[in-house]
Amino acid sequence: MTKLEAIIQPSRFEAVKEALTELGVEGMTIFDVRGHGRQKGHTEVYRGREYSVDLLPKIKLELVLPDNLVNQVIDAIVKTASTGKIGDGKIFVSKVDEVIRIRNQERGVAAL
Amino acid sequence: MPLLANSSTSQDAYQKESEDIRERFERSHDGQAAVRERSDLIDSLIRQLWAQSPTGLAGADRICVTALGGYGRRALFPCSDVDVLFLHETALSETGQKQTIPRVCQALWDRHLRVSPTTRSLGECGRLHRDNLEFNISLLDCRCLCGDTELFEQLRSRVIPKMVAREALELQQRLTDLTSARHNKYGHTIFHLEPNIKDYPGGLRDYQVACWLSLISELEKTGVWPAPENLLPGAFREECGAALDFLSAVRCFLHYRQGRDLNGLTYELQAEAAAAGIGLAGGVPVAPAAWMRTYFRHVRSIYRLTVLFDEVPPARSGLYRLFENRKSRLSNADFSVVEGRVFLRQLSSVQDPSVLFGLFEFVGRHGLKLTAETERCVEAALPRLRQWAEHAPDLWPQFRRILVSPHAGAALRAMHRLGVLVLLFPEFQAVDSLVIRDYYHRYTVDEHSFVAVENVHALRTPDNELERRFRDILDGIERPDLLFLAILLHDVGKGMPAEDHVAGSLQASASVLDRLQLEPVDRDTVTFLIASHLLMSATTRRQNIFDPKVVGEFSESVGTTERLKMLTLFTYTDIKSVNPEALTPWKAEMLWQFYAAAFNHLSRTVDDQRLTASTANSERIKEVVAAAGEIDAKHITSFLEGFPKRYLLMHTPGEIVTHCQMYDRLKLKDDEPQIDVLRREGYFELVLLTLDCPGLFAHVVGTLSSWGMNILKAEAFSNKAGVVLDTIRFSDRFRTLELNPSEVNRLKRNLSEAVAGEINVVELMEAKFKPGAQGLKVKIEPSVQTDNECSQHSTLVEIIAQDRPGLLYDISSTMAELGCNIEVAIIDTQGQTATDVFHVTCAGTKLDREHQKNLQAALLEQL
Repeated sequence: MTKLEAIIQPSRFEAVKEALTELGVEGMTIFDVRGHGRQKGHTEVYRGREYSVDLLPKIKLELVLPDNLVNQVIDAIVKTASTGKIGDGKIFVSKVDEVIRIRNQERGVAAL
Repeated sequence: MPLLANSSTSQDAYQKESEDIRERFERSHDGQAAVRERSDLIDSLIRQLWAQSPTGLAGADRICVTALGGYGRRALFPCSDVDVLFLHETALSETGQKQTIPRVCQALWDRHLRVSPTTRSLGECGRLHRDNLEFNISLLDCRCLCGDTELFEQLRSRVIPKMVAREALELQQRLTDLTSARHNKYGHTIFHLEPNIKDYPGGLRDYQVACWLSLISELEKTGVWPAPENLLPGAFREECGAALDFLSAVRCFLHYRQGRDLNGLTYELQAEAAAAGIGLAGGVPVAPAAWMRTYFRHVRSIYRLTVLFDEVPPARSGLYRLFENRKSRLSNADFSVVEGRVFLRQLSSVQDPSVLFGLFEFVGRHGLKLTAETERCVEAALPRLRQWAEHAPDLWPQFRRILVSPHAGAALRAMHRLGVLVLLFPEFQAVDSLVIRDYYHRYTVDEHSFVAVENVHALRTPDNELERRFRDILDGIERPDLLFLAILLHDVGKGMPAEDHVAGSLQASASVLDRLQLEPVDRDTVTFLIASHLLMSATTRRQNIFDPKVVGEFSESVGTTERLKMLTLFTYTDIKSVNPEALTPWKAEMLWQFYAAAFNHLSRTVDDQRLTASTANSERIKEVVAAAGEIDAKHITSFLEGFPKRYLLMHTPGEIVTHCQMYDRLKLKDDEPQIDVLRREGYFELVLLTLDCPGLFAHVVGTLSSWGMNILKAEAFSNKAGVVLDTIRFSDRFRTLELNPSEVNRLKRNLSEAVAGEINVVELMEAKFKPGAQGLKVKIEPSVQTDNECSQHSTLVEIIAQDRPGLLYDISSTMAELGCNIEVAIIDTQGQTATDVFHVTCAGTKLDREHQKNLQAALLEQL
C-alpha cells in the first residue's frame, strides 16, 4: 500500500477530487494548509500598509491506496492540478506497512 | 390486569403487557398514552409485589410506597428510571418493611426495570437537601402507589407545602441555576445537528422545569396543589402541549429503538423517525429535513418557556447584581429595565407601532430580554400592527434602526419569536425553522440569518488580528443598514420553489424592498448583495485569487470599493454562520487577501477605467438616459465621456442627470462654476462643476475648512472636456449652516470666489481656520506611497494619516505647490484614519522618480 500526500492549489481542488472519484478513490483526508516552496510568496500593499503574503494557501490531500492504483492516481492529480505556473504543488509518495480499520480491526487493503 | 407478581407467569404477563403497549405505540405513535400506560403497568406491578410480601400489608411500620419524578407524573418512558420512595413515619424495624423493600426492588430489577429506590421519613422529606436537590424536586411529582395513604396525605398536604413555602426562593434559584448551567453546556441554542431531546435547550427537561417553577410558585402563594394542566401560563399551553406530545412520541421511539434510556437524536434515527412519521399527524412519512423542521418548531416553543425562568430573582454575586442594576439606569419613559429585562411602563403602549419598534430597538441597542408579560403584550398588539403595516410609509426608517443596533440579532430573534418579523415580511415565513440537513449547516435557515447579522456586529469587538482587519472594513462602510437587510433576506429563496435559492431570494426581496420603499440606489445595493452573495466564496474556492486576471474580472463585476467592502463582510459572515467552526483562519485569510487585491485593483485602476463613446450602450447609461427625460442621449454621453467608470456606479441616474444639467448651465453662463450644497441625513454634500485649473481642489477644500467644515469623503473626477466634478461630503462642526440656512448661499459665493481665484484661500485659512482640540483615541502613523505602474498616464499617491481638520487642504495644497495636477481623488475617512488616493500628473505626464521623492517628503512633513 502507498500513501500519497499531494499539495495543490486551492482552486484546483474540486477538479482533482472529481478526477479521483472517477478513478474510484473512495477516501481521502483534506487539510487547509499554508506554506511555500520555491514560489516563496510576496509583499502586498493595502491602504498604504505593507503586508506579506509569504505563506500561501494550499490544499493538502492524503490518500492511502492499493499499489495498483498509485500511478493512475498520480497521473490524474498531475493532470488536473497543473496550471503550468509556479506554485502548482507537489506529490509525496511513501510506503505504508499496515492499515487497520478501528471499527472491526480489518487489516491491509481490505481496510482501505 | 392480574399479575402474579413473583412467578414466571407474572414475568411473562408483564412482558406481554409491555409488548402490547409498544405495539399500540408503534400503531398510534401516541407517546403520551404509552408513558401513561407504562406507568399504570408498573403501578400495578408494584402494588401486587407489595401486597404479596409477607409484611407488606400488615407490617408493624407505617409506610407508603410513592412514585416520584416522571413516574410520579405518570410519564414513565420505556427505558426511564422508576423512581420510588418508601416513605415511613419513624425508623423502620429490622423485621418489618426493612426486609420487604429490597425484595420488592429485587423483583423489579428482575424484570429489567431500572428502579431507583429511596427510603425517607416524613421529617427528612420536609428538609431542603442542598446536596441532593433533585430529591426535593422529585417530591413535587409524588403520587401514592400503595401502603399507608394517611402517611402520604401528610406528605402531600402538609410536609411538602411547608417545605416549599419555606424554601421556595432557594428551590427556584437552584433550579434556574442548574438549567442555566445545562443550557450553557449546550451553547444556549436549540440548534444542534444531533440533539438530545431531553437535556438540550428546548428539550423535555426545560418543559418540566417551567412546570416545577410554576408549581413551586403556586404552592408558596396558596399552599394548594394546582392542577397539572394549569401549570403553564395560558399563552404557552397550546403550543407547548403540542410540543410535549411530539417530544414524548419521539422519546418513546428512541427508547424502543435503542432499548436504553438514550435520548440523542442521531442522523440515522432522524431518518428513521421521519420515515415512520413519528409525532406527525396521521404518521405520514416525510423527508428527514421536513421532519427536523417540525422538531425545531416544537423545541422553539418549549425554549420560549425560558422567559419564565428569568422571572426568578437570580442568586448571583454582588458584582453581577451591580452590573445588572446598572442596566436599570437605561429605563426611559416607555420602558423600565429590571435585572436585565424590559418591562412596559404602560402595558397597552406597544399597540402604537412606533413604541413597538422602539421596544425592539431598545432590545437591540442594549442586549436586553423581554419579560413574559411584555411578550404577551407584544403578541396582543399584532392585529393593530398588521393594519399599520398595510400602509406604513416609515417602516424602513424604523426597521433600519433595529438592524444597525449592536444586539440586532437578539432583537430580530425576539421579533421572529413573537410573530412580528413574519407579519412585517411574510416572505420570511418560507424559511421559518427550515432545515438544511447536512453536517455543515448547524442552524436552521432563519437562525443562520440572525447569526449572520450577529457575527457582523460582533466584529466591533474583535478577538484577533484577522477580525480586526474585517472590523476595519466594517468601519469603512457607509450604509451598514443595507448590508444587514441583504443578510436578513439572502436565503429566503431556500424556502421557495425557485430553481436556485438566489433567484428565489431576489424574487422575495423585490416585494420586501417595495414595501420598505427604499431609494432606487439603496435597492440596487441590496439586490446586488443578494445576487452576488456566493460570488466571492465561489471565486476563492475555485479560482486562483493571486491571478491578476481573476482579481480584475471579479473587481469589475463588483464595481466599487463600497460594494466590495459589503460583499466581503457578507461572505465572511455567511461562511462563519454555517457553524461555529466553518470559517477557519485559513479561509478568513484567503477572503481578506482576495478583498485586499480587489480593493487595490479598484482604487488603483480608477484612472484607467474611463467611460468612452463605446460604453454608451451599457445598461447603466441606458438607465441614466431613461431618467433624463427630454435631455438628448448623445448629450448625456458626451458629458459622461472621460469620467471614470466609478462615477457611473457611485451616483444614481437622477444625480447624474442633475450633474448634466449643471454642465449645461456651466456652458450657458460662460463657464461660471456651478455649485450646489445639499443637505443629507447627518452631513452636507457639495457638488461643484467647473473647468479645471491649477490648485482647484486645494481651493475648494481650503474654503470648506476655513468655514469649520469637516470633510468626510470626497471625489474629484474630470471628463474629456476638462470639466471637473467634485463631490465632497462634510459635517458642519459648528452647526453654521443648520442654524443659519442663509449662510448656505454665502458659502456657495465664497466657494465660487475661491475657484475663480478672487479670494486668497491661504489667507482665509490663516485668518479663520480653527483646528480645535482633538482627542486622539488611536495614533495613526502617516504613510505616503507612490506607484507609477498602476495607471497608464498618472502616478498613484496613496496617503494614510491621522484625520484632522484641514488635513485635505494641507495635502492638496502641497501637491499644487509641487506642480501636481489632481486627475482623480478618492478621499475616505474611517474613524480617525484618513485614507486618500490621488492620481496625479505633472505637465500631463507621470511624476518622475525625483518628483515622487520630493512629493513624499513634503507630504510626510505636513502629516
